[in-house]
Order: sequence, then C-alpha cells, then structure tokens
Amino acid sequence: MNTNTKWSAKDVITTVLLSVLLIVIQLLINMVCMASHFVSMVLSVGITCFVCAPVYFLMVRRVHKRFVSLLYMTLLGVVFLIMGDWFLLPYFIVVGLVCEAILWRKGSYDAPWRITAAWTVYSGLYQGVNLLPILAFWETFASNALASGMTQEYIDSYLSYYTQPGWLAVILIITVACGFAGSLVGSRMMAKHFSKAGVL
Amino acid sequence: MEKKKAGFAVAARLCVFAATLAGVFLTDGTDRTWIIAAMLFCVLAAQKAWKQCAGFAVFYGILSLLLYLIRFHGLRMAAFSEFHVFLFWWLTPVFMAAWNLVSAPPGMLSAFFARVHAPTGAILGLLVIFRFFPTMRAELHGLRESMHNRGLTGPAQVLRRPGNTFEYILVPMLLRCLQISDQLAVSAAARGIDTPGPRHSYYEQKLRVRDILAAALYAGAILVFLLIGGVK
Repeated sequence: MNTNTKWSAKDVITTVLLSVLLIVIQLLINMVCMASHFVSMVLSVGITCFVCAPVYFLMVRRVHKRFVSLLYMTLLGVVFLIMGDWFLLPYFIVVGLVCEAILWRKGSYDAPWRITAAWTVYSGLYQGVNLLPILAFWETFASNALASGMTQEYIDSYLSYYTQPGWLAVILIITVACGFAGSLVGSRMMAKHFSKAGVL
Repeated sequence: MEKKKAGFAVAARLCVFAATLAGVFLTDGTDRTWIIAAMLFCVLAAQKAWKQCAGFAVFYGILSLLLYLIRFHGLRMAAFSEFHVFLFWWLTPVFMAAWNLVSAPPGMLSAFFARVHAPTGAILGLLVIFRFFPTMRAELHGLRESMHNRGLTGPAQVLRRPGNTFEYILVPMLLRCLQISDQLAVSAAARGIDTPGPRHSYYEQKLRVRDILAAALYAGAILVFLLIGGVK
C-alpha cells in the first residue's frame, strides 16, 4: 500500500465520521454502565473496546493511510478536554502515536494481526482514563466528578477498585482480553462482509 | 421577518456555543445552570425556532421534575439513577447550543469556515461532525424499521442471539456510514473542494447588527454568571 499519499476529502470524511461514531458508542456504553458500580468500574471499558473494535478495523482498513489512529484518538482527547479532563488530551495523543508506531511498517493496514495488536494495546492504555486521575490529577478529577453529579459513594467505589492491585489486575486483564476478542470479531467481519462488499 | 432570516449567523451561533461550554463546564455552581438554559430558550425564541424551543422545553421540564422528585421526595428509579438525570439536566444547555449550531444549513457553515480561512480538511471534518447527529438519527430510524420488518427486534431474538443482533445492527450501519462518506466526498469534489484559491458561497451570510448584539449579550451574560457564581 502507499501510506505516503496525500489525504483526500474522502479519507478525511471517513475518518471523522467513523471517529465520531466510535466516540458516541463509547460515551453511550459508559453512560449505560454507570447504572451499576461493578459493571461501570470493571466491565465498561472492556465492553466498549469489544464493541468498537470492528469500527476501528473498518476505519483503518478503509482509509489505509498513516495517522488515522492519531486523528481518532486526538478527537477523543478533545471530547475529554471539553468535558473538563484536560489531561486526557495529551495522553490520548501519546496513545495515538503508540498505535501509529505499531502500524508504521509497510503493509500494516492489510495485516489483521498488526491492527489487532494496535487495538489491543489501545484497549489496555484506555484504562488510563481511570488510572491517570488517581495517579496524577485526583484534585481535578474529584472536583469535576462531584460537580457533574457523581455521588461520593460512586467516587469511593471508584477509588476502592482502582487502588487495589488485585482488582486493578482483573480490570486490566478483562479490558485487554475484550479488546483482543473484539479485534478478532472485527477481523472476521471484515472478511465476511466488507471485503465481499468491495468497500475495503 | 422570514424564519430563514431570523436565524443568527454562524459566527453568532459559534459564539453562543463556546460561551455555553465555558458557562456549563467552568461554573462552580452546577445547580444554577438552569439560568444558562433559560438564556438559550431566549436565543432560540429570538430566531423563531419554535419547534426546537418546544422540544427542549418538554425535555428539560421532564428532567427538572424528575430531579425535584429524586432530591426532595426520595423517588428511586430502577434503570435511570440520579446521576443520569442530573447529567442530562446539567448538559441540556450544551445540547441546546450544539443543536442550534448544527441545525444551521451546511452551505452557511462551510461558507463561514472558508471565510475565516480554515484548512479544507478541517472544514470537511467540522461539517461531518456537525451533521453527524441529524444524519445518524435518520439512518438509525431506517435501520430499526428494516430490522423490525424482518422480526429481528423482538426481545427473545435479541436475548437468544446477542452476537447476531450485534452484527445485524453494526454491519448495515457501518456500510451506510461508508456510503455517506462516499456521497459527501463526491459532493465536496463537485463543489470544488480541491480548488485552490478563495471560495465563495451563495449562502454566505454577513454579520448583522442583531447577530453581533445577540452574541455580545449572551457572552456578557455568561461572563457575569461566572463572575457572580464562581469558577471551578
């Protein structure tokens, strides 16, 4: 593939359209999962990564150009910035660069395993959304959370899950496993539907 | 005045949106964001956007009632917690300002961004973001009807085969997204998006006094709201 060609209007439109779709799915799942503390803390990121994997696969394979992941993750960071968690914008730019590094080699956009690796790494790193506030930005996060209507009970529960090494390991394993499983489903969907339809 | 002419220029709508974001996310007193919502109802009324006004009034009224019942009468709901109700209530001004912006005709939006010399890629990206929700709403409606006709929306079907349901929803939705991006790209090319040099539009709308006045009044009111109510 030619990864050095200039981005066309179609590439920009496809990337932005699918990125917004990914972000909307992520926010919706997070919102629905907040009904239960356990699901919200332990499973929600995993579910998100599983559901979004096919969309990411399609975006990367369809656009077939470098910096797709970086653009998507920058947009995601901007959404977090608008919601008050400013520190997640630079974080997601770095995550985007990590994914780009994984996909940098020639032919990566046609190699399902490379895309699977990028999405699986992203899934693990997505937990930074929950871990970064505890590690470095607790004051900002806690005041933002309380101001946006989260109860003290929710915040205490959040702290108890993310500060115990056992729970943290379980959460990370579930998230990475879901991201990996979602990538396998995405890869299968590409072969079963999208390649046959001639859209890749 | 015609309804079309009653709508504010894109610059004024953008200013209202930016000021709303600042007011909602920077205020120290989130319980007071109803003031911003009230100001936005005035903005919509000034544009004679009665349908939007009525829709948001019903939505905001129901949320306010639920929040009142939860906080002062101990109402508990199984699926929708206080957090959700508060979240939607708190974010309603953002939804209103965003809808006011995205409901501007696409031609007007692109003409504005071209006039401020935004790069072509950024104009395309912003247009896609702005038109995403109205477009996807129509697409999801069509998808739901199509699934319903094939008997794929029944609870038994969804619970028995969740994997299949996931595929039935995701695959057509993604294919439709790709079709939309193709159509938009062709449409953009036909309108000379790759043409170098300045672009003009039939929809170009100059700033009128009422646009400047509305934007200045709204931004000033948000500033006063933040100064009096306190900033996080």
